Amino acid sequence: MIVFEGVARSYGEKIAVAGLDLAIPRGELFALLGPNGAGKTTTIKMLVGLLRPSRGSVRVAGHDLVRDPRAAHLHLGYVPDEPCLYEKLTGREFLWFIADMFGMPKAAAERRIEAEIANFELGEFADDLAESYSLGMRQRLVFASSLLHDPDVLVLDEPMVGLDPRSVRIVKDLLRERTRGGMTVFMSTHTLAMAEELADRVGIMVRGRLRFLGTVSDLRARATDQGTGTAAPGAEPQSLEQLYLDITSADGPGAPP
Amino acid sequence: MTPQPPASDAALLRPISAGEESGIFLRLRWLIASSTLREMLRTSRLRLSLVILLSALFWGSLFGLFHEAFIFIDSLHAEVISLLFNAFFSSLMVMLVFSTGILLYSGLYTTPEARLLLTLPVRSETIFAHKFQEAFWFSSWGFILLGSPMLTAYGIVRHAPWPFFALLLPFMVAFVAIPATLGGILCMAMVAWMPRLRLHALGIAFGAALLAIVGLAWMALATPRADAMSAAWFEQVFSRLSITEQRMLPSWWLSSGLIEAAARAKDGSVARNQSEALRYLAVLVSNALMLQLVGRQVAARLHRLGASQLVSEIPTRRKRRMSWFDEFLSRAGTERGRPLRLLIVKDLRIFRRDISQWSQFAIFFGLLGLYFWNVRVFNYQHSYAAMIGFLNLAVVGLILSTFTTRFVFPMISLEGRRFWILGLLPVNRDQIVWSKFLFSFVGGIVPCCVLVLLSDTMLGIEPWLIALHEACCVVLCAGLSGIAVGIGARMPDLREISPSKIASGFGGTLSLVISSLFIIAVVLVTAVPVHLRFAAEERGLVTTGWSAADRGVAVGLTAAIALGLVATFLPLFLGLRAFRRLEP
Repeated sequence: MIVFEGVARSYGEKIAVAGLDLAIPRGELFALLGPNGAGKTTTIKMLVGLLRPSRGSVRVAGHDLVRDPRAAHLHLGYVPDEPCLYEKLTGREFLWFIADMFGMPKAAAERRIEAEIANFELGEFADDLAESYSLGMRQRLVFASSLLHDPDVLVLDEPMVGLDPRSVRIVKDLLRERTRGGMTVFMSTHTLAMAEELADRVGIMVRGRLRFLGTVSDLRARATDQGTGTAAPGAEPQSLEQLYLDITSADGPGAPP
Repeated sequence: MTPQPPASDAALLRPISAGEESGIFLRLRWLIASSTLREMLRTSRLRLSLVILLSALFWGSLFGLFHEAFIFIDSLHAEVISLLFNAFFSSLMVMLVFSTGILLYSGLYTTPEARLLLTLPVRSETIFAHKFQEAFWFSSWGFILLGSPMLTAYGIVRHAPWPFFALLLPFMVAFVAIPATLGGILCMAMVAWMPRLRLHALGIAFGAALLAIVGLAWMALATPRADAMSAAWFEQVFSRLSITEQRMLPSWWLSSGLIEAAARAKDGSVARNQSEALRYLAVLVSNALMLQLVGRQVAARLHRLGASQLVSEIPTRRKRRMSWFDEFLSRAGTERGRPLRLLIVKDLRIFRRDISQWSQFAIFFGLLGLYFWNVRVFNYQHSYAAMIGFLNLAVVGLILSTFTTRFVFPMISLEGRRFWILGLLPVNRDQIVWSKFLFSFVGGIVPCCVLVLLSDTMLGIEPWLIALHEACCVVLCAGLSGIAVGIGARMPDLREISPSKIASGFGGTLSLVISSLFIIAVVLVTAVPVHLRFAAEERGLVTTGWSAADRGVAVGLTAAIALGLVATFLPLFLGLRAFRRLEP
């Protein structure tokens, strides 16, 4: 459903993403982890069409983001780290705007808008102007708008920022539900626990390269190997957090020589 | 709570047509406009009424001014109207290219909305059209506010037939669309092809255009002092302006079309002139439409590329060192006053590093300086020069009041988000307010006093009157700073982060209105006694020594100082009291 093929992006001299090859199948929840400046945001921006790769291609549902952005966007939903809304529109008007842009028929749009308002518990303030919303309310509205057209691919950039624990639970349940229904989720996060709880596969990016790619079980097994492996027989299993810190350190596994 | 699974509506999704996209954007614009208007009627009636009233006053004054000017020109050199129109419209055309280009740069690339639209399945050309309409509106209303009184006055003086008045709006709109679209195309090309150099290229082009316009004005008006306003002077000016009469320029099509529309044949018939006017209008409209098509094609090819180029730009890291002046200011003086000085140094640094603040300051005061420098071209009578000196003083005050309202008034509110920093510092809250006042007062007094001195020197005003004007200038600077800081502290908006939104709220409008009234009052109480003194002098009533007329001037100055003290300390007192009790 999502294919990165030899994708590279540099900013002048600085290489942000170097030769990324990654395919994410339908129904998978993929979490991209990495320290600040690792290239996660650049990868996300290329995936949603805000940034063009210097080399290689990014495809969503078979559509190239550079050659055919409109066709690709029809299959995409995007929740940015900083939610953007029209301040002088109400939440409901904003949802209608998005539904219209995706060409949803009126009856279907109405049904879906009401469903998402209920899903994200927006009913109380759906008819207030967005300028009066708190950060959490904004984030919930953006979530609702990104799921309105039931996209094949949902891209999330630090999705839990600003959400209260109840909203976090709603989002987690929803992601599980939708991925079971076949939606592919690409999520960038700093929170290891979240990736561990939700992700089918995890990628750890450091300085523009994927240093680890595998399932959470693979990561856990590696943590156990490194803790109790041949290097130090009888030692305690290494925590996932410690392993993550090892991988992302300058001379961690997979680091260029 | 279990989320509801979606119904299978995805299969119903379809890419929508360009027409449908435009319809959705129109609906969006309508919703935003009606919501904004509703809110304005609910919360900002004073501001809205003031805007309407001041616009009507501005329109009426311009109409009167142009009416008199056209009568004067008609009696002297009726044939030069074409030259004047061409010079005016061609200068405006250059300005419109830049203003729309800058507005579209922000609308198409840098706003959060631009990023949202780029992630939706919408055509780049529709995004361009949507943002262009916005930029076009902002560019054209100023032109219409300025151009409509001028052209209406022209039509009335020339006894133009009714179609002239009916065609005014179509002519103006079609004309504005051409430079506006050109600005948009240039903006998209610059961002896509030279993203790193865009600011330099824009700066150089803007500087060149400004130089060309100033050079044109200078070239047209530069003449020996004695010749000013003579018939020879007029002829020289007009022959120099003929450079703007270029048949390939839209300004020429507009000027010629309007002149034709206002003309009558010798037998009084208008049909032939009207058909000529319509031909010029057709040329304007067809060129505007053709450029729109080009603009849309350019958007389809370059908009997403340009947006990507901008996203891939890394902000340059600029290391800043403490300047010698900041160092000096923070160390000079007593230890007790050090927090106050440090707060001033902080505001000074923010001002220096915010190009939008000092560039506007530099442009407005620079243009005013240029105008004052040029007043020497004309010869004035003694009393007339004094009155022009007072008018110039009022203009300096009005310009300063726009800056104090736009930049100084929001300063306290802008501390809102950082209030926890200031609140934890060992700084008295009063010092925060006083630091803003001193920053504004000292920052304003230097350029304002220099400008007033320049104006008075060029007008050849006597030293005692220069001293009076300078005293009034100090009073104005203190009063305007007190009003802006005092009301800013009395009515802060600690949640808002945009200074322009803070300034355009109720407090900002109130500050601007009180500032304007204060300027008028100070100028009137000093100008009227001076005028009476000159009148008495002309009648031989002023004798050597301390005359009654001199006493009148002294009373006027005392009244101005008293007004200044009230305007400075009353708002500051109210502001300080409110700020001490403030709970952020």
